[in-house]
Amino acid sequence: MALKISVGLVLILAFAGIVFAQTPPDITGSWERVGPGALGRGQGTDPRTPPPVPPPPLKPEFLKQWQARQQAAREATAKGQPVGINWVHCLPDGMPGMMQGPFPMEILQSKGQVTIIQESFTQVRRVLLDRPQKALDDVDPTFYGNSVGSWEKDTLVVDTIGIKESVVYQNVPHSAQMRIKERIRLVAPDTLWDELTIEDPVTLEKPWTFTFAYRRMKDYTLLEYICEDNREYIDEKGLQKMRLGK
Amino acid sequence: MAFRMTRQTVALAVLLVIGTASALAHHSFAVFDHTQTFTVTGTVTKFQWTNPHGFIELDYTGADGKVKQYSIELTSINMLTRSGWRSNSVKAGEKVKAIVAPLLSREPAGLLLEVTLSDGRKLVSPVPAADTFKRTPEQELK
Repeated sequence: MALKISVGLVLILAFAGIVFAQTPPDITGSWERVGPGALGRGQGTDPRTPPPVPPPPLKPEFLKQWQARQQAAREATAKGQPVGINWVHCLPDGMPGMMQGPFPMEILQSKGQVTIIQESFTQVRRVLLDRPQKALDDVDPTFYGNSVGSWEKDTLVVDTIGIKESVVYQNVPHSAQMRIKERIRLVAPDTLWDELTIEDPVTLEKPWTFTFAYRRMKDYTLLEYICEDNREYIDEKGLQKMRLGK
Repeated sequence: MAFRMTRQTVALAVLLVIGTASALAHHSFAVFDHTQTFTVTGTVTKFQWTNPHGFIELDYTGADGKVKQYSIELTSINMLTRSGWRSNSVKAGEKVKAIVAPLLSREPAGLLLEVTLSDGRKLVSPVPAADTFKRTPEQELK
């Protein structure tokens, strides 16, 4: 009798252990990025937030081009003639820019998939769980790439490849071989961190790592965002202009 | 020395914030004049609730007595919604007073900083880094 109870207890505990071990943290819901440059209620610097994104460790030839482009963009802005960016064409950020915001984002956990939606431009990426990553040749380049992931204890580890070369973050050039590794975890019950490491054997000297932090928005439902009527356009010199006379 | 350090640190922080915030605006607001504001008083012909930015179209009377059109750009309607604006916050036919940062080109358009509605209520547009736009004494556009 005592033996039966003990065996039963052990089985229950073992089952509970498996259940607990396999239950990923609940990160479903709305999130707002916090830290330098964040918009809305996230504006300002929270002491718990990670440091700002460091400059990209580009190889010298790419670094020179990037610095020249950044300088030209700064000078154009100072002259009131900003250089046009993707947004002016109503195009979304893609990866990894969409993880920077600027608007709230929603995470949905479902069977075999974690879906991340960024409110601006209604950007959606799907992280397929517990599947092998495809070979680079088998992935057609897109804005968000092909993402696979798995839970390693409390951390969602994501691997992304296949980002279009025209989709750039902070104007940093990358090749078709770029790979983005992410470690997404709760650092506090309502604080989420996404540590991103970008690897590119063609353009980067070493991996480029930075972290975005988000605060849970308990009563927020993402709004619709359609880039419906854009009066800004990019002229033949690549500068942003505004259409008048509507 | 301590004072200088502090001022440098503050200047650097301001630069960082401005740099990042302008990078985050849906489009650069650098086309607008950051050094002075205009006041435009007129009748709303259209309140356009769209992304990437909303618009108020206004008719005002110029110094020559002729009615002129002015386009007032707002931020993303998502930001406006989170700041308490609604698609019916401003109505066509309503007389309003808008404080705008005009286009540097001086074409008839500006960025809305604040609007006073016909019932006296003031609505502020949630422009990123709004404090970088210098408010000048009221100067009615004619």
